[in-house]
Amino acid sequence: MGVMRIGHINIRVLDMDAALHHYGKVLGLEKTDMDPAGNAYLKGWDEWDKYSVMLTPADRAGMNHIAYKVENDSDLDTLGKRIRDYGIDVEEVGAGELPYCGRSIRFWLPSGHLMYLYAEKEFIGKTVGTTNPDPWPDSIQGAGVHWLDHALLMCELDPEKGVNKVAEVTHFMQQVLDFKLTEQVMVGPDGDVQAATWLARTSTPHDIAFVGGPVMGLHHCAFFLDEWTDVLKAADVLAKNKVKIDVTPQRHGITRGTTSYFFDPSGNRNETFAGLGYLAQPDMPVITWTEENLGSGIFYHTGELNEAFTEVYTEGA
Amino acid sequence: MGATRHRITILDTGEVYTCPDSVSVLKAMAQLGRKGIPSGCHGGGCGVCKVQVVSGEIETLTMSRTHVSEEEERAGFALACRCYPGSDVSLKVVGKMQKAVKRPYGFV
Repeated sequence: MGVMRIGHINIRVLDMDAALHHYGKVLGLEKTDMDPAGNAYLKGWDEWDKYSVMLTPADRAGMNHIAYKVENDSDLDTLGKRIRDYGIDVEEVGAGELPYCGRSIRFWLPSGHLMYLYAEKEFIGKTVGTTNPDPWPDSIQGAGVHWLDHALLMCELDPEKGVNKVAEVTHFMQQVLDFKLTEQVMVGPDGDVQAATWLARTSTPHDIAFVGGPVMGLHHCAFFLDEWTDVLKAADVLAKNKVKIDVTPQRHGITRGTTSYFFDPSGNRNETFAGLGYLAQPDMPVITWTEENLGSGIFYHTGELNEAFTEVYTEGA
Repeated sequence: MGATRHRITILDTGEVYTCPDSVSVLKAMAQLGRKGIPSGCHGGGCGVCKVQVVSGEIETLTMSRTHVSEEEERAGFALACRCYPGSDVSLKVVGKMQKAVKRPYGFV
């Protein structure tokens, strides 16, 4: 019941050919369709629905929307009502308007990001199939990412003006969409300002994350790899392809994920994220990182944030 | 290699470096370990490397309109990561990162 997982992200790109090379040949997503408007649809080899990445040609970079898949069609009515009762407008969207999906609902998160929930999307199947499958397909290209894992959305944070969209959106995700808070960063003189959160509906450490910044935006979307050696190999693939790497392979304190960050050809940040991290269960206590350990939370080895990592990101709407 | 090299001058700092016509003004600076223009996404999306070309010729790739409007582009504003020099170039730095000392709340 309720939200199952991240379904897809719709990213704006400045150069479609360069974007298709990046998401297809370098990351290893499979292109499943192009529509007459010029949007491209891609999926990981380990995903079964038609797409997890929708690329839209545009003259500015960033994210148009993010979509999560719910388990049952009736969840759209149940959650739609809960969202309205919370005080947020919900738009009913007809089948097909969200491409290759059944009916959906659409609303603006308290952080200003556009979210869709849907229950059905056209089925394609994993590349290895479902009968006596191989562990991975021979058609893998580049980094061979398995699936879209999560996204991190930047939210306006200005405590001195009483603005904390991280706390607002986190409250909404917990209370209305039943996400579990797994980790948080608490900052400020009294350590009572919730400046970043990680939330899950699956049993992984996060399916979405929110971090405070001067303006809202898209910080990154992340793609799953099995393990550390895959992250290292992915970074080799990125370097071979002259992709701008933001953070070379290392470990997060938060989520325990092994990671590397880089930018797509339009400047949208991507991550390759490997490992289970830990089993996130509903009764697992929330993990809290204090301000003086913020650097270790984000980059466990160096214990320091790099300037571009927190300050460079693309638009979130 | 057949690349033609040009001299880039960052007027704010007086930094001068050489940039082949096949390499972006920002990447050439970063590869030489020079400083002056903030280095961000290198894809024309984030806007931190915004500059104003004061003299010289550049060719530019697509830049996010969020950060460089058509009017600004005509007035010589550009993102250094999308600029390829066609001659010696002098430029001023417009984009910036926030200073880390201004962060009383972790990320902001």
